[in-house]
Amino acid sequence: MSQNLINANPTIYNTKTFVRKETEAEFDDDVEDAIDSQEVFDLIRSISDPEHPLTLEQLNVTQFDHIVVDNEINKILIEFTPTIPHCSMATLIGLCIRVRLLRSLPDRFKVDIRVRKGTHQSEGAVNKQLNDKERVAAALENNHLLEVVNQCLATASLRGVEVSN
Amino acid sequence: MPHLELLATLEGHQDRVWQASWHPTKTLLATCSGDKTVRLWKPATHNNFTEWHCVETLEGAHKRTIRSVAWSPTGNELATASFDATTGIWENDPRDNDWECVATLEGHENEIKSVSWSSTGALLATCSRDKSVWIWEVESDNDFECLSVLQEHTQDVKMVAWHPKLEILASASYDDTIKIWKEDDDDWYCADTLEGHTSTVWSLDFDAEGEQLVSASDDKTLRIWKMYKPDNEQGVITHNGEPTWKTICTLSGYHDRCIYSVSWSKVNGCIASVSGDNSIRIFEKDSDTTDPDSPNYKNTSTTKDAHGVYDINGVSWYPNETHGDWLSTVGDDGLVRIWRWVKD
Repeated sequence: MSQNLINANPTIYNTKTFVRKETEAEFDDDVEDAIDSQEVFDLIRSISDPEHPLTLEQLNVTQFDHIVVDNEINKILIEFTPTIPHCSMATLIGLCIRVRLLRSLPDRFKVDIRVRKGTHQSEGAVNKQLNDKERVAAALENNHLLEVVNQCLATASLRGVEVSN
Repeated sequence: MPHLELLATLEGHQDRVWQASWHPTKTLLATCSGDKTVRLWKPATHNNFTEWHCVETLEGAHKRTIRSVAWSPTGNELATASFDATTGIWENDPRDNDWECVATLEGHENEIKSVSWSSTGALLATCSRDKSVWIWEVESDNDFECLSVLQEHTQDVKMVAWHPKLEILASASYDDTIKIWKEDDDDWYCADTLEGHTSTVWSLDFDAEGEQLVSASDDKTLRIWKMYKPDNEQGVITHNGEPTWKTICTLSGYHDRCIYSVSWSKVNGCIASVSGDNSIRIFEKDSDTTDPDSPNYKNTSTTKDAHGVYDINGVSWYPNETHGDWLSTVGDDGLVRIWRWVKD
């Protein structure tokens, strides 16, 4: 067991287990359901933190309010909040979010992932790296790193529903 | 209105295509991809340019993505730069028209991003995420000697491109700068650092004479730089007897996302750029502006969704008069497209 955790004692937040309310229109095959921020949040809320057996939602790293989806221009902006301003896991967490969305969203979306303004001391560097697709591609060819990412994503399909404490 | 007409779509790569390179004299295109192969493409017949075939697949030499591919000036060799930290040199065996990897250049610490041959074919340059630019001397019998390791960029180096006539190299980096490299008595040094872009410089290309270059950046702009020699009559300050490169035109407000590649036609003088916003844009010099130190470029055509909803990673004008109006583009959709530039 590693004794050198970056943030050994993080604050745990109550997950507002708000689940999408099903509407009439969602069962109507003639109505096109646009992808909204709830859908995107559901995709990423249950990604595991790299060092704690907790989800990004439980650590308040991802928040519903910090996701903007524009279906008209196929653009998504996700801001996440590292648990501490010097978190060295920030790039890895952002990479996990990116990979999750690469694997689950339609190709038409252009996704920008950023650290929430003012929440990390290397904000600019983290943002630049996460949005350089060549470096993301190279990172994903690194088997060790891919394994770590896949571990964090193993719980992603819970979509906030079965969050355990 | 000027526009691009789609001539052909080349299907075959199994992953995103990163770059395309035209053979210097033949109607032959090399493309490289995340599927770890290079493919060579040729029209089905000598006069039907709407149907192309993959005539050769170069594979087996690289363990990871091939990011860049470049023909030697004679077109007898190909160089491939890979994320596996090696550069491959491929040669055609005319007896059975087969391509073989005849040399592997090692030394970079991690991903190689770009490879380029000098105009005479005597030198090869590579650059890497390890922040360095390497210059190799091409010797006989597929021997390559590393002449210099240049480590002045402070970040990942994205692209290297040689001057069209002289042994001058330009490199573009994640550190937002471009550097110009020259040789002095076997010693390579940085002769100028071009500052102005506010994010990663992904690509650059010289004009036909090598007096100007265009650069493309994540800051969504293109910049045109001009070389001013010492004692120039415009009064541009130079240092240490070296020419200074200065921005004479910035093209902004066109692309909505990162510009991944730019190509300056050596035949018609047009600049083509491609972007993460899925579009190809063509810029032409405005003939009404006569001041050579402050030219005006007009965006005369825009092809939206040129690879559907996908990012376009590379653009390349045909290098000579034969098909000077042709342009190739490659995208995240794994496709290669060939376009014809129609003026009216």
